[in-house]
Amino acid sequence: MLNKPRKVMLIDDNEVDLKINSKIITISKLFDDIILCRSGEEGLSYLNQHVDNEAELPDFILLDIQMPEMDGFDFLEIYKKFPKSIKDKCLIAILSSTLDFGDIKKAEANPYVIKLLKKPLFPKELEEVLKKHFLM
Amino acid sequence: MNSSTIRVLYIDDEENNLNAFKAGFRRQYEIYTAISAAEGLKILENVIVHVIIADQKMPQTTGVEFFKSIVNTFPDPVRILLTGYTDIEALADAINHGDIYRYITKPWNDLELHNSIKNAYDAYKAKIDLREKIAELEKTNDELNRFIYSISHELRAPLVSAMGIVNVVKMENLFHSSGEYWGMIETCSNKLDYYIQKTLQYYKNNKLVHEKSPVDFKTIINELIELYSYSDKETHFTVDIIQDIPFYGDAFRIEVILGNLISNAIKYQKKEEKNKKVEIHIEVTKDIAEITISDNGMGILNEHLEKIFTQFFKSKTNHGSGLGLFIVKEALNKISGKISVSSNTIDGTTFKIIIPNVK
Repeated sequence: MLNKPRKVMLIDDNEVDLKINSKIITISKLFDDIILCRSGEEGLSYLNQHVDNEAELPDFILLDIQMPEMDGFDFLEIYKKFPKSIKDKCLIAILSSTLDFGDIKKAEANPYVIKLLKKPLFPKELEEVLKKHFLM
Repeated sequence: MNSSTIRVLYIDDEENNLNAFKAGFRRQYEIYTAISAAEGLKILENVIVHVIIADQKMPQTTGVEFFKSIVNTFPDPVRILLTGYTDIEALADAINHGDIYRYITKPWNDLELHNSIKNAYDAYKAKIDLREKIAELEKTNDELNRFIYSISHELRAPLVSAMGIVNVVKMENLFHSSGEYWGMIETCSNKLDYYIQKTLQYYKNNKLVHEKSPVDFKTIINELIELYSYSDKETHFTVDIIQDIPFYGDAFRIEVILGNLISNAIKYQKKEEKNKKVEIHIEVTKDIAEITISDNGMGILNEHLEKIFTQFFKSKTNHGSGLGLFIVKEALNKISGKISVSSNTIDGTTFKIIIPNVK
């Protein structure tokens, strides 16, 4: 079990969803701090910048699948190559509106994805996922 | 069709035959002649020929050998073999390996050869037409797949954002701040989402090939109940599943079938009923899974019972989409399952399903 999560990173190209989901997380008080990233590249460069600064790293990443250029799966391919210390600390859940069977199967099969959450995000569902992996 | 556009290649080592053929048929066809298989091949490489006539008995390469040699490189032209003596072995070889359309004996009869060429050309046309049709269908199929994919992404994504906004409004206690408008937006969004999901289910059911995988009914039923009772905690479920042996079937379709029935059982409860309940019973044997789903809901009128599985059938009182049970029936058809229903407006509805265990 990991300690109570403090920081969450939202990666989503959709401005509206970023706003909604950060609002939901703020109101439900599941995290103290939210890092907003408008693309997978932005998320990766944040992680790269803070590789050695644990305090700045997110405990949890909510990753969208459908994004232009680098999609969620491309992100995971690069994330795979990060040092173990980061991968052990930052857990990833997919947050997507997809109903595509192929995408769902692919997401569930990825070893770094602990859960596939469907939009719209419900705080209760998110909390249940967190409870399984963190001391809340 | 202008028959002069039919291009015929005739290969024969006897110059006289080539000349006779040209003289007899040049008015009807565009004729190419070759004195050997090698010469014939050169022509094939430069001209799109529809019909090839080859003499069997030629010095270097026989007609059959020539046809065999072009089976892969020039599969389209239709082949006619011409031979002066009846050589059964060559003939059998020709039919089995050279893809021969007709066999004609020498000396040829003009009318017979003429008819054969015409028929051969028709066969050529049919072959090419079929290929074009297949390509066209593959393209349509591809486009449909892309369309389905885009429904599940582009069309649904903004809708889901709107549903998310309604959630935030609820969390900020603003849901009743504008009369009933937020509630109306929520109802509309949910309805649209329901239609998108059902449309996708319908297409997937039609298109997906059968899949055989192990099915654990306990897991499926628990997941489905959790999913559909999310917005309705009042209904009480009694689940009784006897599955001691493995069941193999089409997991996607079974989920679609059970999901639609469970969501219906929750949706069509009597509003005033205090003790809303749904009972699910499943028994798996080595041949079948027998599933019963019964509720004490509003029931189905007797005169409607025969129509509930037809597309877009809706009763006036219950606001369904007319898609759920239609999809159930379609999915069952694909996996050779059966469904029966008994219902009345006092006790509620019971659906009984039998799905074969495909092992």
